Amino acid sequence: MGGGLIGARVSRAEDVRLLTGRAVFIDDVRPPGLLEAAILRSPHPHARIVRIDTAAAVAHPGVLAVVTGADVRALVHRPQPLIWRISPAGRETVAYPLAVDKVLYTGHGVAAVAAVDRATAEDALELIDVEYAPLPAVTTVEQALAPDAPRLHEDWPDNVAGRTVVAKGDVEEAFAQADVVLRETFRFARQLGAPLETRGVVATWDPFTSHLDVWLNTQGPHLARELFAEVLGLAVDKVRVRVPDIGGGFGSKAGFYGDQVVAAVLSRASGRPVKYVEDRRESFVATVHAREQRIDVEVAARADGTITGLRGTVHGVLGANFSTVGLSPCWTTAAVMAGPYAIPAVEVNVVGVVTNKPPYGSYRGYGLPKANFVHEHMVEALARHLGVDPHDVRRRNFVTDFPHQSPVFVYDSGRYAECLDLCRDAVRRAGWADRVAGARAGGAHVGIGYAFHNEVSAFAPSRIVNMSGLDHSGFDEAAVRIDSTGHVSVHTGQTSMGQGIHTALAQVAAHVLDVPLDHVTVISGDTDSAPYTGYGTAASRAAAVGGAAVLNAATRLRAKVLRIAAHVFEAAPDDLVIDEGVVSVKGVPGRSVTFADIGDAAYRRPHGVLPEDEAPTLHEREVYDPVNVATAFGCTAVLASVDVETGVVDLLGYLIAHDCGTVINPMIVDGQLQGGAAQAIGGALYERLAYGAAGEALTLSFAEYLLPTATVVPPFGVDHMETPADHIPGGFKGAGEAGVIGGGAAIAHAVEDALAEFGVRITSLPITPPDLLAAIRAGSDR
Amino acid sequence: MKAAPFDYVRASSVEMAVDALRDGAVALAGGQSLIPLLNARARRPAVVVDVSRLPLAGVEQVGSTLVLGAMTRLRAAETSPVVRRAVPLLAEALTHVGHVSVRNRGTVGGSVAHADPAAELPAVLLALDAVFSVRGRGGTREVDARDFFRGPHRTALAADELLTGIRVPLPPATARCGIAELSRRPHDLAITAVFTSVVLTGRVVTDVRIAVAGAAPVPLRAHAAEHVLRGEVFGPDVLAAAAEAAADATDPIDDVHAPAAYRRDMTAVLTRRALRQAVPA
Ligand SMILES: Cc1cc2nc3c(=O)[nH]c(=O)nc-3n(C[C@H](O)[C@H](O)[C@H](O)COP(=O)(O)OP(=O)(O)OC[C@H]3O[C@@H](n4cnc5c(N)ncnc54)[C@H](O)[C@@H]3O)c2cc1C
Repeated sequence: MGGGLIGARVSRAEDVRLLTGRAVFIDDVRPPGLLEAAILRSPHPHARIVRIDTAAAVAHPGVLAVVTGADVRALVHRPQPLIWRISPAGRETVAYPLAVDKVLYTGHGVAAVAAVDRATAEDALELIDVEYAPLPAVTTVEQALAPDAPRLHEDWPDNVAGRTVVAKGDVEEAFAQADVVLRETFRFARQLGAPLETRGVVATWDPFTSHLDVWLNTQGPHLARELFAEVLGLAVDKVRVRVPDIGGGFGSKAGFYGDQVVAAVLSRASGRPVKYVEDRRESFVATVHAREQRIDVEVAARADGTITGLRGTVHGVLGANFSTVGLSPCWTTAAVMAGPYAIPAVEVNVVGVVTNKPPYGSYRGYGLPKANFVHEHMVEALARHLGVDPHDVRRRNFVTDFPHQSPVFVYDSGRYAECLDLCRDAVRRAGWADRVAGARAGGAHVGIGYAFHNEVSAFAPSRIVNMSGLDHSGFDEAAVRIDSTGHVSVHTGQTSMGQGIHTALAQVAAHVLDVPLDHVTVISGDTDSAPYTGYGTAASRAAAVGGAAVLNAATRLRAKVLRIAAHVFEAAPDDLVIDEGVVSVKGVPGRSVTFADIGDAAYRRPHGVLPEDEAPTLHEREVYDPVNVATAFGCTAVLASVDVETGVVDLLGYLIAHDCGTVINPMIVDGQLQGGAAQAIGGALYERLAYGAAGEALTLSFAEYLLPTATVVPPFGVDHMETPADHIPGGFKGAGEAGVIGGGAAIAHAVEDALAEFGVRITSLPITPPDLLAAIRAGSDR
Repeated sequence: MKAAPFDYVRASSVEMAVDALRDGAVALAGGQSLIPLLNARARRPAVVVDVSRLPLAGVEQVGSTLVLGAMTRLRAAETSPVVRRAVPLLAEALTHVGHVSVRNRGTVGGSVAHADPAAELPAVLLALDAVFSVRGRGGTREVDARDFFRGPHRTALAADELLTGIRVPLPPATARCGIAELSRRPHDLAITAVFTSVVLTGRVVTDVRIAVAGAAPVPLRAHAAEHVLRGEVFGPDVLAAAAEAAADATDPIDDVHAPAAYRRDMTAVLTRRALRQAVPA
């Protein structure tokens, strides 16, 4: 094999449809008789629901169904599912799709209406009379842990949802023997994925067959089907989940949300299809939040810069109720806090704390950006303390022997020092040192910052994910077919959400089968027909795990094609070659048979072509469960300037050196890295979900929640290197989250470098102008 | 986010618009601020009077006055050669109002009537001593910019009055202008912005205007800062004193983007920068 398409910078098959407005997004799905739903949301961060009166809403013209939290609770078979239990002994929140008895955060759903259109549904919401008895709210970890704090869940003794620890080696000993111990406290603001298209669902309940037919812009259609079945008490075959085009996911669309169940319940109540699409305002309270943590760490090191121990506590500032993934993003921060460094002794506690905010869930990078910020900050701090180059500290501590058992995951392979050099070389080529010198000579404050990251991708072996407390598998099923005209279809459980997965999987199949790329179609998005994906499209796994499944299935299909062709030529399969869908005997260019000939024989005219012992059709299926995760890695360098009178940071340059094993399509990987980096910029400089003193939500639009726009995102440069994952067919590692991981630390370090004369240290994100100005002033007073 | 029900009237004449602007009615011009407010149900008028097609668009110079129709699109005013030549400060300020797509729809009258304390246009018109033409059922009246802005999103316009035009006395040809705006991202609504116009005779300041957006419930005219400069030789010391005087005049708010103290401090920084831009060292 070797069609040359793995590694080819081909343009994405998805783009023409997306760019010419031919995509069908959730809001374009309009079955006949469709109703639209709206959800009444709590104006209070914490309150008892004394009384709800829906009579006027029910009577409003155009309204077909109204449900309260209690109504929905009575109709479901179990509370909202939690699929990832990090702390087996920990407590679990019991939450239903809408609030019952108590609202726990601003925006908590209280009741829902289905009406002839959304405007009518919103009119009817205003007619629902809810009497609340407000309660005091907590929004910070300190408030939530105060001895006299109001408790969110009254049957709990406090607001701690769970504790666990990530440990390796003898930490006591490491700290006892240390030449240097450094401590720091970090704070990360609440942020969210904010895809351009908000979340939505169209649910149709068939009252005659008790089937639930769902259109859902989800990253995990199979998981959604399983969980719909669990929550509604249905057999899985009674639930069909179809996925339209998706306008971005970023993890926000990976979870299973209560509003999806509400739509199903409203359809059942009204006998009509029901659409619920969160509007942008609602998305700030209805889609999972992420990132918010307080981390206290200590690092032990020897005088030569060898890091011998790492310990600390990650406080996950959770929402009031668990999302589908519970405490796991915060556990992940602890699990990977040693990053690319071979730290022999690690002990990181994880404490989940509930607050009066929306659930905390997945967002590109999961726990990794915080872990990265912490270990990169500590490396720089140690280097400063010892008076050495931080890159020397990195190099001294890099994992060099693979496989490497980190506190939780086994790192399969890596060439960290080379990747660091690749990045520094890019900085050299870009002439940044001269730019810094020139700018400083002119009185400006310009600096360069670095961050090195590694990433647990290709998540994950079912065995490992189950052991980590995840109630779901990590395998991927794929089917590859050749039709009677010799064209190829690839069937996958993976979801296309703008990231180019269809193109990537088509490249893998075309490469293996040696057919032209435009002879391959990728089909996904319908649980009635799609192969099963154990986890969905998340955790940087689609190309690596899904790609490996396609590769294996295509490899077997290729073998069948060759067996049939061998029969035609009366030759041995090993003597045949395939080029662009044409099979011929090596060294005998005159004789050939095409994939179309073989397809025709496999489906329509087998007689005389298909070997006796060969079953008709050309169809191979593969279930691929990796034996290990794959660790991708990269290094980010940022050039930034700071206006010391205003505290405004400008990014002038952004370079990434990256290794995700075998690259399927460098253009797609560049795009993933750049998109992730843009989100890192948002997280480092702009994005913050803010809460007022009484716990009220202050960021409910893009005027308050600032995403990075084109004007603040600098040009990117990307360099690739390839260290294939030996254990994954194709050698692929994941790339979807990489861009977001190291950006925050690299930006912070560039700012610190620019402000070296003021001794500014960045230990919280985002870096806002007023905060940075205060730090600069504190520095000039010192 | 769907607006609460309302009746819609498209006004075909100023008289009709004024007549329709009664009993909880609201004028709709470019809709860049009103439509989001309607959709969030933050405003719930019984009637929306669409005034966007009234023949009130256009820019002309009449003697020593620039006359802008209220319905002139922000982008049309910004790119008008007349505005650029006659009142460069105004043309330059308009480039800071949102994005081009917002300026293509938004109108100068809408921006003034909306009276966002951080908006550029109200502040710059205050600096330029503009006069607003207002039409009500009783006829037309003129309101000076300094009397027009009453609070955040509050103006001298009565509920049944329509802003029809803006008259800007032309600054002297020798006036130099400077703008310093601080926003979280380019084209965002300003955290704080300062607009200046300076006339020098030799190095002596003979006329100066300083207006500040985003530092008080209304756009501010920094009279004390102007007073510090007027009659003085333009230089670092008076600049610093003027910047402090401008900051002293502020009465800013805290919001998610910046605390009040920051806006105050930035007023000083931006005043100095705007003046420096007008008159480079
Ligand atoms: C993304 C975005 C960014 C923005 N950035 C900025 C910015 O940086 N700076 C800035 O200043 N603004 C900004 N804005 C706001 C916007 O530019 C102006 O507020 C807007 O253009 C107002 O003009 P309009 O014609 O669209 O008014 P409309 O939205 O139609 O009306 C606004 C208000 O004025 C009233 N009104 C309109 N015309 C009249 C009239 N002739 N007489 C009486 N009342 C009237 C309306 O009743 C309403 O109350 C931004 C808006 C958006 C959407």
